[in-house]
Amino acid sequence: MKFFSWLRRARLWSGFWYMLGVLYFILPLYATLDFSLRIERDKISLLAYQKAFADPGFLQTFVYSNILAIITILVGLILVVPTSYWIRLRLPEARRVVEYVTTLALVIPAIVMGFGLVSVFGAPIKVPFTSIQLTDSLLNSPVGTNFIVVMGYTVLALPLMYRSIDTGMRTIDVRVLTEASQSLGANWFTIIVKVILPNLRASILSGALLTFAIVVGEVTISSILNVPAFSPYLWLLGQHKAYEPAALSFASFLLIWASMGIIQIVTGGRPQAAGAK
Amino acid sequence: MAYLSLSNISKQFADAVVVQDFNLDIEKGEFVSFLGPSGCGKTTTLRMVAGFEVPTSGRIILDGADITDKAPNQRNVGMIFQAYALFPNMTVSQNIGFGLRIRKEPESAVKERIAEMLSLIHLEKHADKYPYQLSGGQQQRVALARALANHPQVLLLDEPLSALDAKIRVSLRSEIRAIQRKLGITAVFVTHDQEEALSISDRIVVMNEGREEQIGTPFEIYNFPKTAFVANFVGTLNTAEAEMVDPGKGIIKMDGVQFESANQVDGQMKGDKVFIAIRPERFSFASEQKKANVVDCTIENITFLGSVVRIQITIGKTKFNMDTFNNPFLELPKIGNKSQVTCSREAVLILDRK
Repeated sequence: MKFFSWLRRARLWSGFWYMLGVLYFILPLYATLDFSLRIERDKISLLAYQKAFADPGFLQTFVYSNILAIITILVGLILVVPTSYWIRLRLPEARRVVEYVTTLALVIPAIVMGFGLVSVFGAPIKVPFTSIQLTDSLLNSPVGTNFIVVMGYTVLALPLMYRSIDTGMRTIDVRVLTEASQSLGANWFTIIVKVILPNLRASILSGALLTFAIVVGEVTISSILNVPAFSPYLWLLGQHKAYEPAALSFASFLLIWASMGIIQIVTGGRPQAAGAK
Repeated sequence: MAYLSLSNISKQFADAVVVQDFNLDIEKGEFVSFLGPSGCGKTTTLRMVAGFEVPTSGRIILDGADITDKAPNQRNVGMIFQAYALFPNMTVSQNIGFGLRIRKEPESAVKERIAEMLSLIHLEKHADKYPYQLSGGQQQRVALARALANHPQVLLLDEPLSALDAKIRVSLRSEIRAIQRKLGITAVFVTHDQEEALSISDRIVVMNEGREEQIGTPFEIYNFPKTAFVANFVGTLNTAEAEMVDPGKGIIKMDGVQFESANQVDGQMKGDKVFIAIRPERFSFASEQKKANVVDCTIENITFLGSVVRIQITIGKTKFNMDTFNNPFLELPKIGNKSQVTCSREAVLILDRK
C-alpha cells in the first residue's frame, strides 16, 4: 500500500512539473497573442495584424530576410554535405576538428563576429604582403555587404547545419552505399546526387529549417552591417509601437511551428534510411 | 591464359602488411572461395579486384586487360556486400536498374532486364517495395540481382551470408550457386565459414596471414590438407606430437603407441619430431578384420550432436575426438571403459609443423 501511495504522489509531482513546464512556454505566448488582439479598447480585433502587415517595411524586410535565408541554406549545404560526407568516408580522424570548428559560432558572441567581419572586409582586399589591391572595400557595395552578411549567417548556422547533416550521414552506411554505387559504375556526382542526398532528405530539411529560423531571427550582425533584415525591423518597431510587434512575433511563431510540422510530415512518413539493416 | 589473374599481389597499409605475394589464376565460369580467419587478407584481396584498394605491388589481369589501376566505376565488376548495401531511397526495381540507367541504356532494355532479374531471384511480387520492407534474405537477393543486371565480368561476394540466420544462409547459398552456374559467371566468394566454402566452391583458397596456404578443390582441401593450418582450419582435426620411427614404411610413435601412415612428408628422418593429424570421422571401433592401426583407448566422454555422436577418447596420454553417425540402434560404450579403435593408414596425416 505504501508503494502505491508513493507511486501516486510521484505521478502527482511529475504532473506538476510537467504543467509548470507547459505554462512556462505557453503563458508568454498566450500573453503575446492576447496583447496583440487588444489594439482597440474593450474589443478583440485583428487590427494590429492588419496594420503590421500593411506596413511596407514589413514586406521589404521579410522578403529580404527570406532571400538571405535561402542563400545561407544553399551555402551551408554546399559547405557541409561534401565535408561531412568526405569525413565519414575517408577522414574519420578529422571529425573532432571539424566538430570543434563548427561549434565556434556558439562560443564567439555574434557582436564580436560582426565587428570582426566589418574590420576585415571593411578594408580594401589586397594580395597578401603586397600593395596590389584586388577589390575596393566590400562594404561599399550592396552585393559585397550582402555577401559578408551571408557568410556571417552561415557561420552562425554551422553548428546546427553540421549536426543535422552528420546525424543523417550516421544513419546510412555512407561507405558501403558509396562502394556499391561505384561498382555499379557511378561517378562522384551521381553518387552524391542520386544516392547520398536523397537519403539525407530529412536531415537536410531539418538543417535548412533551423538555418532559416536563425537567419530570420538574427539581429546583431544584421544591425552592425546595417542591412534591411526582418529582426532589426521588428526591434525598431518595438521602440515606438506596442501592438504590432506583438502581432508579428506571434506570426513568426506560427511560421516556425509550420516549419516544424513540415519536418514531422517529411520525416515521419517512412524511416529515413534502412541503411545497412 | 586465365580469365582473372592475380600475380604477386601485395598490400601494405601504414605499418601492416595485409597481403603478401598472392598469386591466383581463375578460369572463366569458376566459383572460387577465399577462406580464412579474420585479418587473413581475404577481404582486402577481394577489394583489390573490385578496385576499392590499390595493390602496393603486383598486377590484376581480367580477360586480358590490366585493371590494376582502374577506378572501381571503370571496371565491370559486380559486388555483393555483407550489409546488402541496397539504396534505401529506391524500390527493388530502381535498385536493380541503377547500374543500367547509369550506362544510359534505353529505358525499354532497362525494364526488360529488371523483369528478367526479378524472375531470376523470384521476387517479381516485390518489385515496388522499398528495401526496409524486405527480409534480410530478400534484400541480399535484390543485391545479387542488382550486381548481375550489368552483366559483370566477375561477381565478387564479400561474406554475403554472414548477416543472415542459419536456415536462410543455407538456402541462399545454394541459390547463389545455382544462379552462378546458370549464368556461367565467374565468381569470387569471401567467407570465414569453412562449411560454406566447402559446399559452394569449385576451388578454395585457404588464406592465412596474407598468404595463400593452399589452393584446391573442396575435396582436396578437406582430405589432403598440405599444412597444419589448413588441416586445423577446415573441419575438426585431432593433432598430436609424434616421433618418426621409420620414414620408409611410414611408422610413427605417439606416447609409445604405434601408428602407420600412408601419407609421407619428404625429407623426414628417423627420430624427427612430426605432427600426426586424424579427422574424427576416420576413427571407428576396432573389429576383427582390421589389422593396421588398432590401438587401445579409454572412453572419456560422449556428446550427442544430432546426426553425429562425438566420443572423446584417450590414446596413450593424448585426447582424441572420434565421430560416428547416429542411428537409433547404436550401441555406445560406457564412459570410463577401455576399448579399441582403428583408422586406416590413409587417414593418418603427417604434418611437418603445427
